[in-house]
Amino acid sequence: FKSPWSYQLQRRLGALGVLECLHIFFCCCIMLSKYFLFLSLSRAKDVTMAAKVPVNFFSSKSQVLDLFRGQLDYADYIRQDSEVVLYFFYAPWCGQSIAARKEIEQVASRLADQVLFVAVNCWWNQGKCRKQKHFFYFPVIYLYHRSFGPIEYKGPMSAVYIEKFVRRVMTPLLYISSRSKLLDFLSNYEPGVLGYFEFNASPQPPGYLIFFTSALHSLKKDYLGTIHFGVITDRQIAKEISLTRSGSVYLHRRVNTSLIYPNEVMNYTAENICKWALENRETFIHWLRPHGGKSLLLNNELKKGPALFFFIPFNPLAESHPLLDEITKVALEYNNCNKSQAAEPVLQHLRDANSPDFESIVPHARTQVADTYSITKYPCCNTVVLPQWHLISRTHNVCELCVNQTVGVKPSKVNVPQCNFLEIEAALDSFYLKEHTFFQFVSNTIECSNFLSFYSPFSYYTACCRTVNRGLINLISSEKTIFQTPKVTFSSNGKKGKDDTHHSIPHIEDRNYFTSDLSVNGTHITGLRCRTNKTLNFYLLDSNLFWMYAERLGASRSTDMKAFAAIVDLKEEAHYTLDQNQTLIKSALENFIQNFSILYSPLKRHLVGDSSVHFPAQHIITEVTTNTFRDVVVLSEKNVLLLYYAQWCGFCASLNHIFIQLARLLPPNNFTVARIDVTRNDLPWEFMTDRLPTILFFPYNRKDKSVKFPEDFSVTLPNLLKFILHYSSLPSAAPDLEPFAKACPQGERVLQQQHISHLRSEIQKLRSEVSALHQAQDQLEAQLSEARREEHKLQQQKHTLEKQHSILQLHSEQLQALYEQKNRELEEMAEKLQELADASENLLTENALLKVLLAAMEGKLENRDETKKSIQSEETLSTHDIGPVLTAIDRLHERERLDVSNIDTTVMEHKENRTE
Amino acid sequence: MLRSWDLLCCLWALHLPGAGEGAAAGREIDTAHYRERVKAMFYHAYNNYLENAFPYDELRPLTCDGQDTWGSFSLTLIDALDTLLILGNVSEFQRVVNVLQQGVDFDIDVNASVFETNIRVVGGLLSAHLLSKKAGVEVEAGWPCSGPLLRMAEEAARKLLPAFQTPTGMPYGTVNLLHGVNAGETSVTCTAGIGTFIIEFATLSHLTGDQVFEDVARKALKALWKNRSDIGLVGNHIDVVTAKWVAQDAGIGAGVDSYFEYLVKGAILLHDEELMSMFLEYNKAIRNYTKFDDWYLWVQMYKGTVSMPVFQSLEAYWPGLQSLIGDINNAMRTFLNYYTVWKQFGGLPEFYNIPQGYTVEKREGYPLRPELIESAMYLYRATQDPTLLELGRDAVESIEKISKVECGFATIKDLRDHRLDNRMESFFLAETVKYLYLLFDPDNFIHNDGSAFDVVPMPYGECILGAGGYIFNTEAHPVDPAALHCCRKQKEEQWEVEDLMREFLFLKKSKKSTFKRTADHSERESQTASANVSSERSKGEMNPEKNTKRRIPLLSCPNQPFTSKLSVLGQVFLDNT
Repeated sequence: FKSPWSYQLQRRLGALGVLECLHIFFCCCIMLSKYFLFLSLSRAKDVTMAAKVPVNFFSSKSQVLDLFRGQLDYADYIRQDSEVVLYFFYAPWCGQSIAARKEIEQVASRLADQVLFVAVNCWWNQGKCRKQKHFFYFPVIYLYHRSFGPIEYKGPMSAVYIEKFVRRVMTPLLYISSRSKLLDFLSNYEPGVLGYFEFNASPQPPGYLIFFTSALHSLKKDYLGTIHFGVITDRQIAKEISLTRSGSVYLHRRVNTSLIYPNEVMNYTAENICKWALENRETFIHWLRPHGGKSLLLNNELKKGPALFFFIPFNPLAESHPLLDEITKVALEYNNCNKSQAAEPVLQHLRDANSPDFESIVPHARTQVADTYSITKYPCCNTVVLPQWHLISRTHNVCELCVNQTVGVKPSKVNVPQCNFLEIEAALDSFYLKEHTFFQFVSNTIECSNFLSFYSPFSYYTACCRTVNRGLINLISSEKTIFQTPKVTFSSNGKKGKDDTHHSIPHIEDRNYFTSDLSVNGTHITGLRCRTNKTLNFYLLDSNLFWMYAERLGASRSTDMKAFAAIVDLKEEAHYTLDQNQTLIKSALENFIQNFSILYSPLKRHLVGDSSVHFPAQHIITEVTTNTFRDVVVLSEKNVLLLYYAQWCGFCASLNHIFIQLARLLPPNNFTVARIDVTRNDLPWEFMTDRLPTILFFPYNRKDKSVKFPEDFSVTLPNLLKFILHYSSLPSAAPDLEPFAKACPQGERVLQQQHISHLRSEIQKLRSEVSALHQAQDQLEAQLSEARREEHKLQQQKHTLEKQHSILQLHSEQLQALYEQKNRELEEMAEKLQELADASENLLTENALLKVLLAAMEGKLENRDETKKSIQSEETLSTHDIGPVLTAIDRLHERERLDVSNIDTTVMEHKENRTE
Repeated sequence: MLRSWDLLCCLWALHLPGAGEGAAAGREIDTAHYRERVKAMFYHAYNNYLENAFPYDELRPLTCDGQDTWGSFSLTLIDALDTLLILGNVSEFQRVVNVLQQGVDFDIDVNASVFETNIRVVGGLLSAHLLSKKAGVEVEAGWPCSGPLLRMAEEAARKLLPAFQTPTGMPYGTVNLLHGVNAGETSVTCTAGIGTFIIEFATLSHLTGDQVFEDVARKALKALWKNRSDIGLVGNHIDVVTAKWVAQDAGIGAGVDSYFEYLVKGAILLHDEELMSMFLEYNKAIRNYTKFDDWYLWVQMYKGTVSMPVFQSLEAYWPGLQSLIGDINNAMRTFLNYYTVWKQFGGLPEFYNIPQGYTVEKREGYPLRPELIESAMYLYRATQDPTLLELGRDAVESIEKISKVECGFATIKDLRDHRLDNRMESFFLAETVKYLYLLFDPDNFIHNDGSAFDVVPMPYGECILGAGGYIFNTEAHPVDPAALHCCRKQKEEQWEVEDLMREFLFLKKSKKSTFKRTADHSERESQTASANVSSERSKGEMNPEKNTKRRIPLLSCPNQPFTSKLSVLGQVFLDNT
């Protein structure tokens, strides 16, 4: 205990001070301990404080047992009593733990009667948990099923997902009691493993426990629980999947043949069963669940080839997932290469089982299909010859065009048997406008396409094309004449069609209902995977968790239904989306897939644009987006200077002020200064640039001849102006000036020229004057700033002087006080000296008196004795008498000295006081 | 070494995939809520400093008093000044400006670190000067090219100039503000202490017109460049008299960090190709020798062999820097590595041993440094990735839970047990809180993308100021690049622009001033440009397409690849190149 202040205390308070000071220290401790502070004072410089003692993390009312001091031993002790236990290891400072807390509480409130929830603070460094476990992140969730565990949960920290996982741990095996349950089980979109065990023998059939454990084990490996485990006890049901021997394990597959666990080859252990199932399962559709940390998941999946992403809202606790089933059907068909009949009954069951649900959710789609059937009786078709589109080969230019008024907005029309000429015309129009091309990989097949009408959004045109040989063309050539008119009207309707493009995504109809004589194959997607060289992989993402990716691919932020499908082709650096207004129904998906798969795909690369561009108050620079690019830049009648930038790019942001200046200088009637944030706005390839910032200039009359600001030049205002000047053709000024110049007589022009040159020299002169003035100004400024600096310095000096003055004043006051004190002390001393002097005077007088007495005595003695004594004896007597007097004086002197030293010490103390 | 390497690889493979668990993917983080909490953090610390520590440099939060640390300039107050404005507290900003003008004196007999004084005091005063109009302070005529705070900054900077008088031009590390360099001063300075001046000094030179500051800063930078090793790396400490490397560890962290930072930011601020080309060369060497699985290690500067497989808290600025030049994919990958360390401890230890996955002896502290949050802010600007907001959330929760005490926020002395130290560094208010607030406040004026600006009339035309693109110095003090332009370039360009405008309006295309010919007047044109000019001159007409070989312009960023659309929520993509 040697801090300086305690030492001073000691000095000041003397022996008593030590006690006092300890007392103070204890007071401090008590005071601080209120805040759980434990200051360990070694030297005042190195004060440190131990971490705060942990407090409750969960509220006391919570269903979760909160061991906030990290008592892992206690947790393990109480675990013995429960079948299923969930451990939630957290750190109190961890944001993720705090966020997950309410999710856990939510799960606990639903499952607390069956599962024990224990939260352990695994950070508190004096707790058992911290000493035993070493986690790299928090929170960590462990599950135990009796003695089996821990099973770490690695899924999203969302209550529904956690609950689902806990439920899986509670009942890892599904009991299959009936045939319908079996079919349910097999039709699930996730792979299933079934075990057949006869429970006749007591207490458990051999191998059952291992099978049970392997189900738990699979949760350890595959935390998403994608493999279902079921158990059959009934011999009859087991026969359905041709299991006869008790103890056999069966892996259900749809496309390939299902497997039975090879007992003879592999040992029958939980790990092996699990591994076998994982290796041999077939998955056509993968869940993607990025865990949020650094991961190459998407990278690895997308490198495999084009990917079809489905974003669907997924509730793992829900009983049925109609949307998911719809997608599964498509995926299954797509992958069903050898048309195995085995898959059919299951598919059929899938349809049957889910149709009630399905219908309630997408009734619209359902009726649509029904209607399509009904109108097949009255097709309105015509054969047309398409004009040669770019690379279309000659044999592909004959199409059968049919009009189908599908959905019953105007049900009467469905029954119109005859062709409405206008309808056909419109259909043909839209057909051209889509720049739609039909191609077959197999000849003699038909490809069809449906278009939304832009007259009535509820009617479709179906256009089917097929390979027709010359003979056929000749046969139908007579009908061609009818379609002369549509070709003319093409241009007139062009604009309208364009506006409509994003509403109607072409898709291909897979039912052939008007030409029964032609064999149809390859029109639907069954087994398409094996027929196309643009193989798609299917992926599912939960849009409740990963809608962000959908938004990045162009899904709108503000839709209620978070369902979205997109094909991402990493190699082509492009992606295609299914119109968000379309529901994710089978036919729409199939068309989408097929349109992607054909050789010259009609799908257009989706350009993601920034829809929420706010136009600032001082909008001098036009902000261009994907949607406005064409209007502002290409179609505008002005010269356009376009800056490609990105907000994050340092080199772009530091040029802002130059562009603002430029925009303020240029006449706005002729010039647009625009910019586009290319991280938020995609552009067609031909307008893209690979470096930022890039500056392009689009002259008003030759927009196709855009020029790039050369990279070698620094981006400065004069350079930009020169650049524009060099390439612009100034629409208004040029024609005005020319006739004027011609009209002028020669002489006048000369005069004018002279005048101009005169003015120019004037300007030159003025300029030099101005620059001289500038120089002077600079000098003045320098002087001014010098003066200001001086002033500041003086002010500061004044300040310091004032400060010093006040300090001095204080000092002098102190000195004055000291002086007075000293004076007083001196006076006191003088008084004392006076006293001393008085005392000594008294003594002297006493002495004199004594002497007189002595003399008198001597006289008396002389008289009495009358005998003459020797002079020597007389002398000794006198010295003997004076001795005590001298010592008395000496003592007085000593007192004086003491007094002086007393004064000295008080002065010293004064000094110390001040220094302290 | 080899052994530890195996271990290293092994561990990376093991602990990275599981590193970011669950993630509240899809869960929105309430930015408004956290913004308010950051604000509350600031005022808790700031008010306690004013009450208990002012006019000392720093607050001591455990003992509730103050101490002088880097001099005696009321450092925390200077450093926190622009944070006040970013938080929107105009009145306090004005009050502090007055206090500083009266109270701070640089004529004191104090030995001060040249580096720290520059970044904290000069940088703080400069940014306060440039922001003072925005804060409603009445500025004198001639602002932004003159003003009391600018003069103070200039005065402080002049006190540092004696340190630069060495044979190499590289400055001493310490200088006495009254007497200059002390006799017997050590001549060893760290690399960052040499190369971290260009932003403040060039700003001073542009604003005041005195070239001396920029000149000494450039000279020091060039001296470092000249002394790099054969493989293109610089060490940690160098003797400024003999130019011999004393510490030969090369990396991107402590001792070197802000040198690289200032090369990039200087290039952006000054449109300087030379600085950028230096950085790009270094960047190549750093990638080749120090980068392993998106970590950056320490290597021997001559041989390139790994000397320390550690990650330092100070290195976490690197992803932010990369994002400024468009290397966002790599930045994100490195950032996610660093974030795992935060998740492990609730802070970044000064040293983190990567193969062992734990702190390094004696380097377990976390003085509430801003670097990782800084990177998160830059990256959030670029990617809008919610993972970055998650880091912000974690930082707020950790700092509040761990280091908040009665009188402020205390440095974490040991991240293993969260023991606290009696210190609150001034960068906590200057940087950590500022970057946190900016991360949660995307509409702050600092993030201005050019859609708003101020017009300031000057004798030579109007200046556009505050149009965004602020460059933060390494102590998070923003500098407006437009102000630099306003005080120098605009004067020079004035007549030229006027001439050109006349041509526009009267269509007098004088053949003398075609684009190509005059452009080479611009002063810092590189040799390639002039070569082009000479080759083009023969043709007499400009034709940019005819440049035979396409050179990647130095002062530009690459456009983002297609994969950037999906590089969020922890997903990263491997380069195709």
